[in-house]
Amino acid sequence: MNELLYGFITGIIFGFLLQKGRVIRYDKQMGALRLKDMTIVKFMFTSILVAMVGVYILKDLGIAKLSLKTTVLGGNIIGGLIFGIGWGLLGYCPGTQLGALGEGRWDALWGICGMLAGAMIFAEAYPFLKKTVLTWGDYGKITIPQILGINHWIIIILFLIGGIGLFFWFEKNRL
Amino acid sequence: MEKQEPKGWNPYVAGALTGLLLVFSVWFTGKYVGASTTFVRSAGYIEKIFDAERVKNLEYFKKEVPKIDWQFLFVIGIFFGSLISSTTSKSFKFQGVPTMWEERFGPSKAKRAIVAFIGGAIAMFGARLADG
Repeated sequence: MNELLYGFITGIIFGFLLQKGRVIRYDKQMGALRLKDMTIVKFMFTSILVAMVGVYILKDLGIAKLSLKTTVLGGNIIGGLIFGIGWGLLGYCPGTQLGALGEGRWDALWGICGMLAGAMIFAEAYPFLKKTVLTWGDYGKITIPQILGINHWIIIILFLIGGIGLFFWFEKNRL
Repeated sequence: MEKQEPKGWNPYVAGALTGLLLVFSVWFTGKYVGASTTFVRSAGYIEKIFDAERVKNLEYFKKEVPKIDWQFLFVIGIFFGSLISSTTSKSFKFQGVPTMWEERFGPSKAKRAIVAFIGGAIAMFGARLADG
């Protein structure tokens, strides 16, 4: 029960911040995909950088564990490409479209129904995909520091430098 | 004339706060945020109404059992968080066809509905394939 309550509260704060950042609506999502408005990229990258530092501190202190997804190149690349086509058509992300609905953009309802249908179709196709696409380039649960064999803070600092450099470039070009 | 919507927060600030939220979530509950698994579980729920036997036998629904969990409530919470934020800041707008869409494809709600539905289905299929 407690766990569900935590989920609900985390979701409320998450949705609140996303709405304040103006990143959930169609025009912003499309603006990013058309490389005209980088609001979403700024928001997303900042939160990734902050979370990257925070989570690794927790990990180093032994407080938290990483939750790694398996790297399967077939699934990751083909799935990513398919996702992109769908995202471009819909203009909302899976979780954030609930937020779009929350700020009155009720066309998100069609997206939600579509996604439920997409999940059903995927469940039907899963036995086939498991034997094919999802076996291509399966590297298991890996991280970048692990394959390079170096300390994770080197990678984190490189990401921070790259991210902040990107932000400066965005601001200079008024994106 | 419609009143101009007030500007939101700086995206870097809102993004950084969201990053902190993710860190606190991992710290306090060990939960990493996500959303697409919830669509699978919910799809399983809905399909169960029509064909419970089928859902029971599909391998994917054995892997992602239809149930209400942390992430389900997280996703529902996003709706309420956005609702609270937008209605308290004159930012809520009831709109069935997005502005940018209308400029390019016209005001037809049916057209938007069909493309959004198909787009949603494709996006979710891709997201699950990539395990995202």
